[in-house]
Amino acid sequence: MSGPGIAAYLILSVLLFTTGALGVLIRRSPLIVLLALELMLNGANLALIAFARQLGDGDGQIFALAVMVVAASEAVVGLGLIVAVSRKRVDLDVDKLTSLRG
Amino acid sequence: MIAAAWIALFAPAAAVLAIALADMRITRFQAGVIASGATFVSFAASVTTFVLLLGDDPEERSHSSTLWTWLSAGDFRAGMEIVVDPLSVFMMLVVSGVGFLILAYAVGYMHGDEEERRYHAYKALFVFSMLLLVQSGNLLLLLAGWGMVGLSSYLLINFWHFRHSAVAAGKKAFVMNAVGDATFALALFLLIQSVGALDFQTVFARAPEVFDESGPAATLIALGLLGGAVAKSAQVPLHTWLPDAMEGPTPVSALIHAATMVTAGVYLIARTSPLFELAPAIHDLAGVLGAVTLLLAGLIALVQTDIKRVIAYSTMSQIGYMFVGVGLGAYGAGLFHLMTHAFFKALLFMAAGIVIHALADEQDIRRMGGLARELPFTYRAFIVGSLALAAIPPFAGFFSKDAVLASAANAGTLGWILWGAGAVGAFLTALYTFRLLFIVFWGEPHPSPVKREHGEAALSMLWPVGVLAVLATIGGFLQVPGAWNALDDWLHPVAESIEEASGGTAVFSAVAALLLSLAGIAIAWTVWGRPSDLPERARRRWPWAARTLERKFYFDEAYDLAFYEPSDRAASLAARYVEEPVFLRSLGGLGRGVREVSARVAAAQTGLVRSYALALATGLAVLAIVFLVVE
Amino acid sequence: MEEVLVWAVWVVAASALLGSGLAVVLFANPFYSALALIGNLASLAVLYLILEAEFVAAAQVLVYAGAVVVMFLFVIAYLGGRADAPWAGGPTLQSLAAIVAAGAIAVEIVVVIALRADDSIATSAEIEGAFGTPAEIGRLFLGNHLLAFEVTSIVLLVAAVGGVVLGSAPKPERRGSER
Repeated sequence: MSGPGIAAYLILSVLLFTTGALGVLIRRSPLIVLLALELMLNGANLALIAFARQLGDGDGQIFALAVMVVAASEAVVGLGLIVAVSRKRVDLDVDKLTSLRG
Repeated sequence: MIAAAWIALFAPAAAVLAIALADMRITRFQAGVIASGATFVSFAASVTTFVLLLGDDPEERSHSSTLWTWLSAGDFRAGMEIVVDPLSVFMMLVVSGVGFLILAYAVGYMHGDEEERRYHAYKALFVFSMLLLVQSGNLLLLLAGWGMVGLSSYLLINFWHFRHSAVAAGKKAFVMNAVGDATFALALFLLIQSVGALDFQTVFARAPEVFDESGPAATLIALGLLGGAVAKSAQVPLHTWLPDAMEGPTPVSALIHAATMVTAGVYLIARTSPLFELAPAIHDLAGVLGAVTLLLAGLIALVQTDIKRVIAYSTMSQIGYMFVGVGLGAYGAGLFHLMTHAFFKALLFMAAGIVIHALADEQDIRRMGGLARELPFTYRAFIVGSLALAAIPPFAGFFSKDAVLASAANAGTLGWILWGAGAVGAFLTALYTFRLLFIVFWGEPHPSPVKREHGEAALSMLWPVGVLAVLATIGGFLQVPGAWNALDDWLHPVAESIEEASGGTAVFSAVAALLLSLAGIAIAWTVWGRPSDLPERARRRWPWAARTLERKFYFDEAYDLAFYEPSDRAASLAARYVEEPVFLRSLGGLGRGVREVSARVAAAQTGLVRSYALALATGLAVLAIVFLVVE
Repeated sequence: MEEVLVWAVWVVAASALLGSGLAVVLFANPFYSALALIGNLASLAVLYLILEAEFVAAAQVLVYAGAVVVMFLFVIAYLGGRADAPWAGGPTLQSLAAIVAAGAIAVEIVVVIALRADDSIATSAEIEGAFGTPAEIGRLFLGNHLLAFEVTSIVLLVAAVGGVVLGSAPKPERRGSER
């Protein structure tokens, strides 16, 4: 197959990444923040796979799989945190989760 | 001979150590015996050294001995060295001899004092320091002895440390001496820089080559040395400490502030005479200062009411004579007067001490009178001392004062001016001396009751007085101007004295001085020897004169204004404007500032995840630009 | 012909990618955001297929869409999925700054890519047929990157334990002891 060159994939990856970043920065619900986080990770993955294809090196795909594993684990732990927080009857609002303030 | 000299030096030091280490294990009397015994050993060793030195050829009479090299820096060496030569042996004899007599007297005087051991230890320390001063073979060690002598003086002036006035007097003495020490040290720095050494042989040999006569270097060095001498010998302008130093016990006044320490300045000028000869202006200045002091002190002594202060001003005045002597180059005459003065001044002080003791520590002469009957021995000793002081023959003071005046008469215009001052001084001396004698010993006893437990005084106090009385009587025959100059000849290798006047001038000088002294005695008799109200009338007639004399020519007030007030003002200003705001408050301010900064910084710790993430994103954006630009 | 087809598929997938991405970020209801994520992952898988990464594409769908997103949906359902109103109160300083920062990053990187988009990176390498197959992945994982393989398994273990711990019911609080 062919298709566009690597530049296009990279631009796509960047746009996906910044969209996710925007979500992390703007949204107040921790659930949405985690979802946006997944977006960022996927953006990175896209870049990795694109380079793997361009260089003909399978290592990029391995890296992408590892990223996926980590993303999954992080989603598990994050969701567990959110559940625990909600049990304490605290509002699910990152602006209110400020016990670690200095 | 050298060994004897070292023993003379270290015997008193050993006594100090012994008394200090023995502490309470020895009785107070034993401490006194140790101190005076050590001084006697010192005296015996000095005599031995003297006798052995006589065996040497006159030109060979200079030996030095170094124990170890004390200071070594580059090419400069200063050793723990003593010199055995006519001048040092002469001083050793005076210091240890008179010192022994006074220390023995002090055993009786200080009997029963709470801290008597400390007293005897300090006294021995003083003797050691003074011997170090006169025996040292280089100027650095001399300065060490100089400083230690000042220290002993301070320790002994405020011996009775619970008395506020004594403590203040001690501080005053020490600080004024420190001024002299500073100028002395500066002179030494100059010497090291130009000559490269401080031992006498090297310095005196090379000085004429290195310095131009009357050049700036020589003048500065002589000035520095003179400053030290003036401070230590209580000459104008650094004289105000001596009357206050009378706060110390009487034997202290006798030893330190009459016979020995205050004469150290005279010794210094005599010893460094080659340097003074290279700076004639300063040499003359020494003589002038001596003359000024001589007159000033004599005038002030006329109105003093404390028995010890009269004698103190008298000391100041007589040292003025010595300064005139050595200032004109009459070293033999000046040192001769030093010796006789040690005799009769110590005698007078010790006699005054007996009076004070007998009257249960009363020192105001207005409360004394008629003591001739109660204290016959003391009265007679006092007469001897007064006659010697007033320079009446055959007593010692006549010959020594005459020697100074005769030399002055032969020393050109300046010499005649100083002679005039000395002659007037002779009149004043007789006047105030016999004023004191008449007030204290003649007339009716003062009405206030004073207890008298024992007889006149303890034997331990009487016999040294007796010995000194004898010495004051016969000591003058050591050098009779016009007849023989034993002392001049003795000192010749070390300090070349100028010729005295001879023939008609000498006779004129002697007779004139004698007549003035007799006139002084006569007037004293008319005013104070008989009941008279002349002093009162004089005071009413010239109140400003009386006031000036009583205020000691306002020197204390002037120094207060010139030095103390500004320092005090500066100190309080500094305390208010510098110390408090800058240092004290700044520390608090520092702490507060740190806390405020950290509070501001802590504001960044919002605890909000989103703000942290925003910071991350912004940082990333900026970094990306940076990397792009750099690439 | 094939080329055109590939391009068309690419364009569709890319648009779906970006659109669903924006949807994830912009929807108020988290439920809808999660569903948008599924769409995002699906278009991503298509792009992977175009890039000859079959195994990764499959894993993407299985793991991400099949497990992770499902987990998200479970939690959203459990928590009630309260919708927050991110646009209430108008744009805040935070949101403006965020848009600027994110925008800046995007622009910078795009510029870089555009600057470097010369022939050297345009050309792709020749690949064998085994590229991207499970066999190849397995060979790489158990060969060069064995350590990564093992470490990822540990990471998964930790995550599982963490999930259990965080999700378990809290222990009953002890009454204040008398100290």
